[in-house]
Amino acid sequence: MKTINLKINGRKRQIEIEENERLLDIIREGFHLTGTKEGCGEGECGACSVLLNGKLVNACMIMAFQAEDSEVITIEGLGENEKLDPIQQAFIDTGAVQCGFCTPGMVLSAKALLMKNPTPTKQEIRRGISGNLCRCTGYEKIVEAVELAAKRIAETD
Amino acid sequence: MAFKVIGENVLRVDGHTKVTGGAKYPADLALENMLYGKTLRSTKAHANFTIDTKKAENIHGVVGVLTAKDIPGKNCHGVLFKDHEAICESRVRRIGDPMAVVIAESERIAEKALESIEVAYEELAAVFDPEEAMKEEAPKIHGEDNTVFHFKIRRGNVDKAFEEAAVIVEDTYYTGAVDHAFLQPEAGIAYEEEDGTLTVIAATQYPHFDRMDIAGAMGMEEEEIRIINPAVGGAFGGREDLTLQIHLAVAAKKFKRPIKMVYDRKESFLAHCKRHPITMHCKTAADKDGKLLALKTRIVGDTGAYASWAVNVLRKAGVHITGPYEIPNVWVDSYAVYTNNPFAGAMRGFGATQPPIAHEQQMDRIAEKLGMDPFSIRRKNLFTLGSKTATEQVLRESVPLGRCLDALEAAMNEKPLPDENINYLEDLKERQAKKEGAWNEKNR
Ligand code: FES
Ligand code: FES
Repeated sequence: MKTINLKINGRKRQIEIEENERLLDIIREGFHLTGTKEGCGEGECGACSVLLNGKLVNACMIMAFQAEDSEVITIEGLGENEKLDPIQQAFIDTGAVQCGFCTPGMVLSAKALLMKNPTPTKQEIRRGISGNLCRCTGYEKIVEAVELAAKRIAETD
Repeated sequence: MAFKVIGENVLRVDGHTKVTGGAKYPADLALENMLYGKTLRSTKAHANFTIDTKKAENIHGVVGVLTAKDIPGKNCHGVLFKDHEAICESRVRRIGDPMAVVIAESERIAEKALESIEVAYEELAAVFDPEEAMKEEAPKIHGEDNTVFHFKIRRGNVDKAFEEAAVIVEDTYYTGAVDHAFLQPEAGIAYEEEDGTLTVIAATQYPHFDRMDIAGAMGMEEEEIRIINPAVGGAFGGREDLTLQIHLAVAAKKFKRPIKMVYDRKESFLAHCKRHPITMHCKTAADKDGKLLALKTRIVGDTGAYASWAVNVLRKAGVHITGPYEIPNVWVDSYAVYTNNPFAGAMRGFGATQPPIAHEQQMDRIAEKLGMDPFSIRRKNLFTLGSKTATEQVLRESVPLGRCLDALEAAMNEKPLPDENINYLEDLKERQAKKEGAWNEKNR
């Protein structure tokens, strides 16, 4: 048992962790933020993607103690109040959501990409989301969604 | 009220909850006072076994271990034949067969307790090749015969056609097992309601079949079972057979507390069906102009240890083996066979996905022998409106295969890669522009 402090979705929180717990476990079970999914538990699928200090990580591959004093953003932390993040809105509008299990990770992956590169080409988008599997295989629409989000963000800036 | 849906982009009703992470898949649910289950699975492909769960039961935090004797009703389930045991009693027929379920206060305790269950196996002769399994002397998986199903088509006179043919191509094609790997591994929760109703929440493709099989295994009426299908993280056929549903139901009733089970990816691979590996031996004949004359084929599908949808899948493979082509003389023998391999069932295409591997290669090779190009030979034989299939079905509705082939040929000849294909990009741009227009309209 160990107590760690971290900021999750903008709020300062304290949590007791077991030494063998993963960041994914404390997000889902400790903070009850179940939007972050477990698809493989071994860094292959990206369903557990979150932003850790602004960088995209697989929460199943990070031990909970490594998140000490960090800032974590999960899918629940995107958007402002009732307003969706433009990436979330674009996923809805283009039909990039099927079963939805990959969607939170996919959206965060797109977020990380657009923070670094606000005007990605199709190829860059494909590369950007290459760590996230969509087994419903709606990749075409997902790429469209990211393009649309980039465009809308550029227009409002 | 005017509905306009066809030809329109319709927004998903569940899109919002899915992009915000609010959608609840079974693993996201939690109930108070919940227990957790973990399954012990066979490590042998074919064996008799005895099991001793005492040590596991004595572990602090373990509330009990379910074995076959805990199933109150009939210990079986299955979509066509009831050939699965919910928990195997004394014999396993494949690696991954469920033998016991530990119920404990936490997932970790349950997991750990699996190691304390003592199993003694007595291995049986196993068979992994369906051709071998069809032989008389092969070890039997269920009952007296490993052949689950034999589908036949006898149309015209294939032997005569082979004699008259200008060209014959004969070969054997194999496809492998494929896993759906739907992104959300199996998970579920069950609990007993105050009035005795047993509620099972699990991501499933067949709530009604689940209810039927759970009722049978529980010795309860279907009306006493309620299935809730929450958000489902992909399925593709892989959630048609039961996995954890009966285990959850039995445990909830027995321990009078909510039970939750979540598989990890590895267990998910072990638990659900695969796409049937199929062997297709095809002998195809054509005349000198490339018109198909005859097809004789033997198809063998490996359904593994359980039948699941084997009958439907191998029937469909038998119907589709001609490809979308008119063939006047057809002889099909299509078999589904039990082996000790992972069991096969439904997966995208349901038996229609494997045959093109065979019939399209046959077409290319016939074309090559005749010095024809691959498009012309297909055009010459394609189903059109009014064509009769090998099962004598007359195609009376739209049959736009010719147009499909035209589009394919145009695309292939213009530029080989879609990314560099000008039409493709322009088409996309056009679609994008249209959508933008619609959004601007809406959001104004
Ligand atoms: S669950 Fe973390 S990468 Fe798949
Ligand atoms: S929408 Fe189902 S896995 Fe991507």
